Formats: sequence, C-alpha cells, structure tokens
Amino acid sequence: MLIVKDLSIERLDKKIFENINLSLTPGNITILKGKNGSGKTTLLKAILNLLEPSFGSIYWKGKLLKKNLYDFYNHVTYIGDTTSSLRKLTIKDNINIWKKFFISNINDAQIETALKTLKLDNYLNKKVGTLSFGETKKLEFLRLIIENKKVWILDEPLSNLDEDSIELMKQTFEDHCSKEGSIIFSSHQNPGIYVTEEIQL
Amino acid sequence: MKFLVNPSKFNEMADYIFKPVLILSIILFAIGLLFSFYLSPDDYQQGSTVRIMYVHVPSAWLALLTYAIMTLYSILALAFRIPFGFIFNTAVAPIGAVFTLICIISGSLWGKPMWGTWWVWDARLTSVAILFIIYLIIIFMNLSFENRIVREKVVAIFILVGSVNLPIVKFSVDWWNTLHQPATISKLSKPSIDPSMMTPLIIMTFAFIMIGIAIAILRIKTEIISRKSYLS
Amino acid sequence: MNFLNKIIFFYYREYKLNMSGIQDILTNIIFFFISIFIFIFSIGPDKETISLIGVGILWTLLLLSSTLSLRKFYQDDFENGNLLIIHLNGFSFGFISILKTFSHFLFVQVPFLLSIPIACILLNIANDKLFYLFASFSIGSLILSCLGSISSSMNLMNQRNFLLGSVIVMIFSVPVIIFSVGIINMEESFNSLINILFGILLIVFAINPWASGLCLKLSLENN
Repeated sequence: MLIVKDLSIERLDKKIFENINLSLTPGNITILKGKNGSGKTTLLKAILNLLEPSFGSIYWKGKLLKKNLYDFYNHVTYIGDTTSSLRKLTIKDNINIWKKFFISNINDAQIETALKTLKLDNYLNKKVGTLSFGETKKLEFLRLIIENKKVWILDEPLSNLDEDSIELMKQTFEDHCSKEGSIIFSSHQNPGIYVTEEIQL
Repeated sequence: MKFLVNPSKFNEMADYIFKPVLILSIILFAIGLLFSFYLSPDDYQQGSTVRIMYVHVPSAWLALLTYAIMTLYSILALAFRIPFGFIFNTAVAPIGAVFTLICIISGSLWGKPMWGTWWVWDARLTSVAILFIIYLIIIFMNLSFENRIVREKVVAIFILVGSVNLPIVKFSVDWWNTLHQPATISKLSKPSIDPSMMTPLIIMTFAFIMIGIAIAILRIKTEIISRKSYLS
Repeated sequence: MNFLNKIIFFYYREYKLNMSGIQDILTNIIFFFISIFIFIFSIGPDKETISLIGVGILWTLLLLSSTLSLRKFYQDDFENGNLLIIHLNGFSFGFISILKTFSHFLFVQVPFLLSIPIACILLNIANDKLFYLFASFSIGSLILSCLGSISSSMNLMNQRNFLLGSVIVMIFSVPVIIFSVGIINMEESFNSLINILFGILLIVFAINPWASGLCLKLSLENN
C-alpha cells in the first residue's frame, strides 16, 4: 500500500540519505535501523509529507502521496518523540478527548481491556503530569488503540521502556498485524521483534 | 539579466561594476550638492531651508523603492524557489532602514524652522515611522533565529505581510483629509515643480541610487560568502 | 458530517485545556486592571483629565494585555507534538490557524469584552460610549487575534527573543487603534469608520491562514 521509491533527502545542503526503497503491505512490519543522526526521524517525516524529498517519490495505494494525502491521513497514526497527552488533565479526561476528537468507533470495553493490559487502570483519575515517563509513553499507545487506524508510524517507540513493557509492545505489534494492520518503526537497538523488512540507514 | 537571480553571475557582474558605480556615486553627490547649495533658486516662501528637500525627498523615494524590491525578491524566493531572494533580503534590509532614518531625521530638521515643530502626527509621518520599525523588525528577526531555513522564509513572509504598509505610505496624504483636519499644507506630497529645482533633485536621486547599489553589492557579496561557509 | 464533528470536538478539547488552567486567563484580566491603576496613579486621579483620555488608555491597555498571552498560542501544542497530530487528523495548517484564532478570541478576548464595563467605571467614561466601545472592540479584538496568530506562528522557532512577537502585533495594530478610538470619539462618522474597521478585519482574516499555515509547516519541518 505504501511504496517509497529511491528517496533521497538533503537538509541544509547536506545529504542525509539516498536511494531508500520501502514497501509496506497489510500485515507487515518494517523496522528502520541506524545510529543517532542517521536520518530515521527524517525518513518518517518525509513519509508523513512534512518534508520535501530532493529526489524520489512516495506512493500510497498506487497514487502519489501528495495527491492522495487525505486518504493517507485517514489510515495513519503517528507517535513522535514527545508525548502528546495533556499534562494538566487526568487520564480519563485525555481518553475522553481522544475518543471524541478522533471520532473513534472503538467501544468502552475494548478501552478497558487495553488499560488493563497496559497496567494503567489504577491511574484513571491521576493527572498525567504526575505519571512517570514510561507510563506516559504507554498512554501514547492507548491513543494509538483509540484511533484504530491501519498504519502505525512510530518513532523510537521502545526507547525508555522496561523489559515487561517491551514484551507488552511486542504482543501489541503482533496483535495489530494479525488484524491486517501494518507498522513502520525506528529503533537503534535490536528489539527482537519479528520484522518483515529491515532498512539500514 | 541572470545576475539578478544567480549568485555566481552576480559575483562576476559585481566585480565588474563596483568601482565604476562607486566613483559615479561620488561624482553625482559632488555635482548634486553643488547644484543644491549654489545653483538652485531659493523658494519664495521658505527661503534657503528648502534645500533640505534635496536630501529628504530622494531618501524617501529610495526607502520605499528598497522595500518594493525586497517584496519582489520575497515573492521570487517563496513562490519560484530562487534562493538569491533570501540573500537579497538579508543584505538590503539595513540599507533601507538607513534611508528611512535619513528621511525622518532630515524631515525633522526641515520641520523645525519651517512649521515650528520636530514632529507632527499626520498620516505620512506615522506610516513612514511604521515603515522604519518594520525594517528594524526585519533586521532583528535576522539576528534572532538560529535555523537558517526557518529564518529566511519567516523573514520573507513578514516582508510580504508588511508590504501592506507601502500603499498606505504612498496614498496617505490623499486619504486622510477626510478623517483629520489637515494641520499644515503638506509640502511632502509631490507638487508640480519648476525645472530649476527638478535638476538637483534628479541628480541627488541618482547619487543616492548609486551609493545604495554600491553598499548593496558589498553586503550581498558578504552574505553569499557567509552562506557558503555556513555549518548550521 | 465527520468533519463538522471533528471541528466541534476540537473546540471541546480547547475548552477543556483552557478551563483547567483558568488562572492564566484571569491573570491577563488582573494585569489589565492593575495597569489601569498604574495609569491613574501616574496621571493623578483628577476626573476631568481621566475622562478626556480614558478611551485611549482603555484601548492601549487592552492591546497590551492581549499580547501577553501570545506565547501560549501555538507553543504548547507545537512542543508536545499535538500540532502534528491535529494535522494528521485531517485539518490543513491554514484551517488549524483559523480554528485557533477563534479559540483565542473566545478564551482571551471575550473575558476582556466582559470586563470593559468595569473598566469604564474606573476610567470615568460616559455610559453612552459603551455601545461604541463594544462594537469597536468586538471587531478590533478579532483583528488582534488574527495578527497574534501570524506573529506567534512566526516565532515558534525563535528561542531567544520573546518580545519580537508582541512587537509585530503592536506595529500592525496601529491602524486598528486609530480607527477604533476614532469611532468612539466621533460618533457621527460611526458608519464609515466601522466599515473601514470591518475591511481591515477581512484583509487580515484572509492573510492569516496563508501566513500562519506556511510558518507552522515550516516550523514542523525544521523542529
């Protein structure tokens, strides 16, 4: 569904990477590996159409990404390197806002189970600002589940998580792919997740 | 015409014409000042002080002209992706600011003996003061941002938004008679003028243009060099 | 239908965000009143003098107080990634700037609108000028919100110079002040002046999505 062809990107007259090819189909996981500064975040931003590539093009469902942007955004969620939950509000308020804003068709029971698996169900009425960093990262994954979209684009999702949480993430990824979703994520460690495609930057 | 949009062609053309332009500007200033001080007549109303006009009016024209050219280059840079436009904006903004400052100061020096006051709040003066502050904001923006790409594009957008002020400066003397009582007879709008006064005006205008081009050449060359060695 | 729902729930989110931190809005109002006090103490509490220049002081302080909250316009959403998430939910950057302008108007300028009558009592402004004040401020504050959107989107990547944003808003609000105070002091030309003010609003409202959208996209690219 998502095809990246011969992509190269320059920023401030310096070549970050060139000739990257990627192909994402339902049920597959792609991992972007590379050292710090090798351009993983840049590639993800280019896929999201935030950066202009200096060469190459990206296709979504057969058409150029730029011409098919609205459809692409309807099928994509993104987690960046910051946590987007509102710190002054409680987890419950955040979930309500996300449910309404993303017009989610997920029902309350599924959110309950998700909270239980992420081990956040005791913290429902705590303000997000009082949680630890790893717990706010897990809350980000809850947003992913609420949005209920097919393609997940994640920037370093496993950094700063403990081993149990990484196990949890592995299961969540496999669960998502078995329902015909697809994932692109970047990491600079070796997470031990079964991936279909590996891109080294 | 390529030298207007291409940095390397601009460098070649600049090396070629810099010395002649500088010498021409000195000559034109000499002739112009000669004409303004000795060879042009006194005004029948204002006496000798009218001669400040020969500095005040060209600098006003040049201040507006600089901003207009900066607007054109901003459009070229943003819409047609010509990076030379950004170079031009950074280089020429202080030149325009200095012209506006000369215009305001010479206007104040003219106003004190003539109309009895250093400053009055009519439309033309207010909009020129706003133009000066817009130039200052452009210069400060160029110093404040760290990321070069964001800096040059934001400055270009700001120049375009601020170009709304340019018609206001030009037409303010026509529009604002309806709102306020005109305090003085505005000699600042362009009157029909006698040839013996027109000649020094034209000569001084060309002198200002030449010195402006000379300084702009220096600043643009500096900007091109500093961009090549930029590591940010 | 989905799109309309998204817009409504965007404002639900803004409402929750602003109401949970209502002390920020109230601090603006307190700043406004304290600066009125300072003006009165510096001029002297002579009722005649104050009623002559009261309208001018009111408008100036409204302008200055509304430029205080410009830092918060886009900065929080930009820093915690919410701006990108709102964009990925289907809004273009220009549209986001229009939505945020109205949200700023609702949560920052409307409290000022509501505190104008109290300020009129403090500044000894006659009661019959109240209608003209409301009319000119409701249009003028929308202009100020649009200018604030343009200025704070330009300053997202500006780490050092905070005051530059306020300077940009103030320099372009000079015509707004000229015409608004003109409306109040010269009631016979109300129709023409309110039309000019409305014209300025339309120009700024049209420039706002273009300029703010471009600057937001630029800042997200280069973060």
